Amino acid sequence: MPSLTKIHSFDEVFDSQRLFRQILTVMANPARKVNIKEFADRLHGDNPGMLAVAMTLLDNEVGFCAVGNADLAEEISFLTFAKREEAETADYIFVTDAAFLGDAVKKAKCGTLRDPHKSATIIVRTEGADAGELSLRGPGIKDTVSLGAPQAVISAIEMRDAQNYEYPQGVDFIFISDSGELFSIPRLVRKEAF
Amino acid sequence: MKMNKNYNYAFIDEGSKREIRRTILKAVAIPGYQVPFGSRELPIGRGWGTGGIQITLSLIGPEDVLKVIDQGSDESVNAVNIKKFVGLCTDVKTTVKTGEATIIQTRHRIPETPLRNDQILVLQVPIPEPLRIVEASEEKTKKMHAERDYAPMWLLLYESLIRYGKITIGTEYPLMVEDRYVMNPSPIPKFDNPKLKDSECLYLFGAGREKKIYAIPPHTFAESLAFDDVPFEKESFKGKRCRLCGSEDTYLDELFDSATGERMYQCSDTSYCMEVRGCI
Repeated sequence: MPSLTKIHSFDEVFDSQRLFRQILTVMANPARKVNIKEFADRLHGDNPGMLAVAMTLLDNEVGFCAVGNADLAEEISFLTFAKREEAETADYIFVTDAAFLGDAVKKAKCGTLRDPHKSATIIVRTEGADAGELSLRGPGIKDTVSLGAPQAVISAIEMRDAQNYEYPQGVDFIFISDSGELFSIPRLVRKEAF
Repeated sequence: MKMNKNYNYAFIDEGSKREIRRTILKAVAIPGYQVPFGSRELPIGRGWGTGGIQITLSLIGPEDVLKVIDQGSDESVNAVNIKKFVGLCTDVKTTVKTGEATIIQTRHRIPETPLRNDQILVLQVPIPEPLRIVEASEEKTKKMHAERDYAPMWLLLYESLIRYGKITIGTEYPLMVEDRYVMNPSPIPKFDNPKLKDSECLYLFGAGREKKIYAIPPHTFAESLAFDDVPFEKESFKGKRCRLCGSEDTYLDELFDSATGERMYQCSDTSYCMEVRGCI
């Protein structure tokens, strides 16, 4: 009799719980890095870290958009049953190619003054070495923090700032590197002016 | 307590946990803003800590150590039963020592022991809306928050000052978070309000009956409302000390002996008091 094998070994109860706590840690402590490789290793494909985050946060109650990456969209949809949507209406936007980042940030919903929680979280894949330092300030950060960041992160923050959102409207970023490093920059965390 | 494996781990189904987790992340991203969520039914009446319990159950995992307190006490009915319930549907260790806990669920107090960055304090909230005292309509309070219209709240404080010579709000003293949202800190005494400002730990607030979750992340600016010429004042226990441990800098409960007419004071945070005395 053929045995039943699962496509992945990510545990929906316990791995989700542990990864959520890691995501909560980085959201509450912006610019702090955690490593989620152990969770990514339990999934498959070119973006296992993103799939792990998707499995932790997404389900059929939310919509997502994997900008310019049909394979990732297919995988997320298959694993989580989350609804595929356009970037303008998606609750979660996955960006694997920096070329699509600007478009994603421009289109991402930023909530309203009345319902700022109806805004997008943008999950960005980062590659390569650090291209500069970001000095950040905001809730979760004691005074300021310096963050060595690849170009995608620097660009994302510049593009976000160019949108001139009126707080509490805005978008929140989660960045994941290929080596499994994960950190976040929520909407209220700002680049320190020099 | 032995875990009952007939329930899903941490009682709540995974879909509900995911929704609560998404809500918690939004609450952390927008400090002080009340994020609505689909509060679930629990085997405990709404208004008895269900908001806090749902947050705790969505956070908790086998590596956690849980502490539950009610009015500062680990041994009161609400705390003991919540601990029993969480024990029934998880296998986590529980503790009374503040320093040992990774998650602390609390009703109406923040522990005296300073909390660390790796700890999460979950507060049970009966009425999350700080503006409810001045405006009955949820529709209108949503609009007031959207427009940052807090004039009626300031007026309430001013009227109290004019009428009584001081601001008479005892608990649930409102705070301004990141200069944007007026927030209800839950019915903690004013004594605990300063602990919310620039803290090391993450504070999560859950209101199960009112279906709202909100948060104060570490190192967030959360200032109790006050006028420039009338600074915020917390309860003073000057000249009083705990009758058991002798502490003079803690929040004290007043005990009255009707037979002798004697008034005594005792630490409200029982585990802190026991730690000072070397009992635990």
